[in-house]
Amino acid sequence: MTSTDGAVDVRAAEPPSGRPSSGWPLLASELTVLFRRRRTWAMMLALAAVPVLMAIAVRASSAVPPGRGPAFLDRITQNGLFVGVTAMLVCVPLFLPLTVGVVAGDTIAGEAGLGTLRYLLVAPAGRVRLLLVKYAGAAAFCIVAPLVVALAGAGIGAALFPVGPVTLLSGDVITPEEAVVRLVLVAAYLTVSLLGLSAVGLFLSTLTDVPVGAMAATIVASVVSQVLGELPQLEWLHPWLFSHYWFGFADLLRQPIAWDSFGNNALLQAGYIAVFGALAYGRFVTKDILS
Amino acid sequence: MTRKWLRWMPAVAVPAVIAAAALAGSLPASAGDPLPAKTPAEVLALVAQHTAPSLSGTLEQTSQIGLPELPQAGASSGSGAASVLELLSGPHTARVFLDGPSNVRVQVLDRLAERNAVRSGDQVWLYSSKDNTATHLTLPAGAGHSRDFGQYKHPDAGMHGVMPTPEELAERLLAAADATTEVAVLPEVNVAGRAAYNLVITPRTEGTLIGSVSIAVDGQSGLPLSVELKARGQEEPAFKLAFTSLTLEAPDASLFAFSPPPGATVKEIQVPAHGTGPLGKGHRPMHGTESGVVPDAVDPGAVPPDAVPPDAVEPGTIPPDAVRPDYRNPNGGLPRPTVTGTGWETVVEFPASPASAEAGAMVSGDPLLQQAAVAVPGGRLFSTAVVNVLFTDDGRVFAGSVPADRLLTAAAAR
Repeated sequence: MTSTDGAVDVRAAEPPSGRPSSGWPLLASELTVLFRRRRTWAMMLALAAVPVLMAIAVRASSAVPPGRGPAFLDRITQNGLFVGVTAMLVCVPLFLPLTVGVVAGDTIAGEAGLGTLRYLLVAPAGRVRLLLVKYAGAAAFCIVAPLVVALAGAGIGAALFPVGPVTLLSGDVITPEEAVVRLVLVAAYLTVSLLGLSAVGLFLSTLTDVPVGAMAATIVASVVSQVLGELPQLEWLHPWLFSHYWFGFADLLRQPIAWDSFGNNALLQAGYIAVFGALAYGRFVTKDILS
Repeated sequence: MTRKWLRWMPAVAVPAVIAAAALAGSLPASAGDPLPAKTPAEVLALVAQHTAPSLSGTLEQTSQIGLPELPQAGASSGSGAASVLELLSGPHTARVFLDGPSNVRVQVLDRLAERNAVRSGDQVWLYSSKDNTATHLTLPAGAGHSRDFGQYKHPDAGMHGVMPTPEELAERLLAAADATTEVAVLPEVNVAGRAAYNLVITPRTEGTLIGSVSIAVDGQSGLPLSVELKARGQEEPAFKLAFTSLTLEAPDASLFAFSPPPGATVKEIQVPAHGTGPLGKGHRPMHGTESGVVPDAVDPGAVPPDAVPPDAVEPGTIPPDAVRPDYRNPNGGLPRPTVTGTGWETVVEFPASPASAEAGAMVSGDPLLQQAAVAVPGGRLFSTAVVNVLFTDDGRVFAGSVPADRLLTAAAAR
């Protein structure tokens, strides 16, 4: 065991046993590993490419008539900040769940697949803490991913199109500074939206030693949830689907802001975190770690 | 082994707690202080005396009146009738801001879009974010009071040129309605967190599609909080409009100051100036016969100060026998209709005219409406759970909250 310690030395920096360790060093190392990964960078670049491609396409073509393409697309030419909103809208159904699914599905199964999991668990009571740290890492990615889309969109929009007062859905006009605040709020909304999916991914990740399986299962879960949400026959089920409020971020673009959907969404996602967190706990602490 | 089961306990307990919380949340919350018991007349009086409120609230509408589900997003692109149908069918959420009778803002919250109606004084703006169009119109003077409560009052009440007290009004309405309608106050309900009287109007006849109409009246302010229309034999309400949240405070004044956003297409609509609406028309001859020449400007009965704002909650306060077509359509868009039957069994007939022919052509022309209207002997029947409309082939239109065969009988009788 000692011979392989070097392979995981980054994360083995644990305080001496005897008092409960805080887990902060573990979290720091988890975040470092996550955001140093080339895969994470590739995913963030892919996300940033969405607004860039969109802005260039709109810039190169003639004006988009209202009501065609995704919502807000016709506003881009008038105001570059709308690139951020439109790009987030486009990313919500597939790209964001896809990247989050990869990160969340990889959490436990990735370590198991690499054979590094048991070295992470040498400390007593390490499993719960490791689960928390892994989830915190996935949550950090949920914070970063929508922000990348929003900021890349606002940046490319400001570069290619005029930036001025922004028209909200209600027809009221706000200053660009306020609009940036709204943009960050929308990104925060999407972060909250993705936390439930991350919890599902964490649980799925404890079930298997094959990270690709957990990633695929998480992405499938997000697709299934959205498909079920489209079926009117299952209307009773809709408020319980974690994707139910995903498009509710438009409520942040009204005047005054309708906070109801933000609150409902947060409550729903908290429920998913509780249920799938408990499931992941039950599975992970009773699991025989063989790798 | 037991230790292992213990680890799974949270996974069992958490869903159980959530299920329990969801169940507890769906149970009607018990109100703190029960409202003092009131008779139907007293509740009606409470509604009648409620003054123009300042409020911000969220209204939720659900309807299952048997219309085909129209795509929500298609609202602004369809024809006028289709967008009205779209508003009536399917669920909608709207935010309402009221500050006195003449500052109103209604926002219909669509998915990734919004439709706005803003009124500030005599300036009205309509804005749709979907196609970024704004419509502006200036209301003729006095139009703000065209929907005040006076127009629903018993015809006798205006004869003396004196506004009856709300209590008198309620008594008269109930007396007039009693033969056809049962009005009762059921155990109080909780709407938008407020204790409310549950006024239930049930037709005494079997010859109507309407099962019952329930109106929740706020126990403190008298504001109608929800209207629920049940079709005969249906458990779920065919139409429900209710506040889900409500604060009785003046909203931010900036909400009513609307100017079209840059880049929006702006349309101007000219509103023809006409009297002071149905009330003015109804009153002036009465005063003329009574006291000779009374100048319009000092007409004492025309505009009572406690005008009810034109909010969407009000229709529930209309007693069935007061809904006469001549009140609804004072400007004569359709020719004067004939009414057969009484009370709930009323059938309205619009004779053949260009306007009704146009309506008929619209029904047969619009694919969405065509889907809803079925061919019957002698015409097309537009049928919903609570209203049937028959467009006969010779251009007449029959409408009523009655079974379809009654409309057919009425059409065949002439």
